[in-house]
Amino acid sequence: MEGNICNNGRDEQEEMLSFDGVSYEDEKSVSLVDISFALYRGETLVVFGPENSGVDIICPLVAGLITEYDGDIYYRKYQIRDFNYLDRYDYRKGLGYLQRNYGLINNMSVEENIALPLKYHSQLSTREIADVVGTFISNLNLEHCRNLRPVDLRQSEALKTAYARSVIQNPDMLLVEHAMEGQCPINSLTFLKNLAMRTGDSDKTTLFVTFEPERFLDFASKFLMLYNGNVVFEGCREDFLRQDNPYLKQYLAMSLSGPMRIL
Amino acid sequence: MNAQDSNILIALIRKILDVWGGFRDFFRFSSSIFSSFQSFKHLRFRSIYTIAINQTRFTGIDALPLIISIALLLGGTVIIQATKNFPKFGIEGFIGNLLVLIIARELGPLATAMIVVSRSGSAIAAEIATQKQNKELHALEVMGVNTILFIVFPRIMGSILAIFSLIIIFDIVAFFGGYIISLSTVFIPIDIFIESLLDSFSFEDLVITLMKSIIYGILIPLIASYYGFKPQSDFQIPIYVSRAVVRTLLILFVINAFISALFYF
Repeated sequence: MEGNICNNGRDEQEEMLSFDGVSYEDEKSVSLVDISFALYRGETLVVFGPENSGVDIICPLVAGLITEYDGDIYYRKYQIRDFNYLDRYDYRKGLGYLQRNYGLINNMSVEENIALPLKYHSQLSTREIADVVGTFISNLNLEHCRNLRPVDLRQSEALKTAYARSVIQNPDMLLVEHAMEGQCPINSLTFLKNLAMRTGDSDKTTLFVTFEPERFLDFASKFLMLYNGNVVFEGCREDFLRQDNPYLKQYLAMSLSGPMRIL
Repeated sequence: MNAQDSNILIALIRKILDVWGGFRDFFRFSSSIFSSFQSFKHLRFRSIYTIAINQTRFTGIDALPLIISIALLLGGTVIIQATKNFPKFGIEGFIGNLLVLIIARELGPLATAMIVVSRSGSAIAAEIATQKQNKELHALEVMGVNTILFIVFPRIMGSILAIFSLIIIFDIVAFFGGYIISLSTVFIPIDIFIESLLDSFSFEDLVITLMKSIIYGILIPLIASYYGFKPQSDFQIPIYVSRAVVRTLLILFVINAFISALFYF
């Protein structure tokens, strides 16, 4: 399937990520079939689709956690699969990844969790790291729980902590995987406000993977829908709102009737 | 050869192949530690400092009451038995030799290692397995954190330091605590007791104690981590924690026997 969605004058911009004929199959039969798309600097892409559509494979593929697949995935024109041991660590160091279930380190406090990437990777002094972490904690309203462990956090606090940890190194590209599912709409507003500021930056690229694409309508520059491992819809915000596509229409209407067979 | 014999033979061969496969897998895991040293230059020690300190505290300081109690009881038993029975054979002058032989060379390192395996080995395996199921390891990997350097390496450092200290403490408590306990049943003048100990203790004993503490300090967290990384689901965690403890103990006995045979045979 053709790659560049809503390519309005993006050709001159740096291509951050591209999937070129990517196919993947695993023993759980979750698969991708010949997927192609490109994401340019400053763009925000929302990848969505029903369970088992292949959406959950996208972020692990981009992060280089899965290396056995057909086709090519490029990050800034570099083939991710060809990264050697050190290239892969350098690449991940510069990538923000807000994963599903957040993956917070349970024996570390909120503050320690957020500081971890800086402590591990950066040249900043301990005092400078404390200042940066303090700013994030304040911006995300986490002051009251800065010394709590993840087990004591509410869902929205865990989300904000994981978000702060994923962007603390100011990565050029951020992957956000099913972040909003199960979140309180009111308590997650601070997170969304921070996310909006980030996605509004023309230098930052973001890729969302979600079951609820409409929640990212305010940030997204383009959408990609998968079903059974195939791209069944791709378009910009306007295309998404028009709902001309039968798959998209069925998905957003949460209807049992339509081209998709619902489990 | 009848059908039953051939079934037994097949089962035996299968078991041997399983064990061999397990060793190869463990070797691969151990090799990955060496390959992870490629990113050692990126490692900032401040990020693993807390883990190493916590490991040393849990393995060493928190285990002290248990180590001291067991050292006292074992030391006391050995000294009481020796002082009661050696005179019957006319070898009461060899009490110091016996203490060095039994406690310093064998019981001290082995008993300490057994306590560390049952406390820290099981804890390391369970902690890593839980971290894996909670996707914490996944999070570390995608952050560009080398999980081997971040999780295994500080535990090895902490364990070596803690085990060496515990062995020394075990030996001292076993010698002198045991001596005090033994006073309830027999009397040996303290100067004779110390003189007998010093006469028997050699530089070689110290080197071997150091060597054992380094080998145990590497092996215990290494095997525990290996099994900690194994579970694929929550229900497998207790299975692999149990394997970690049992197999580490078995390997420690083999290594202890090997070192003793190598140096004292």
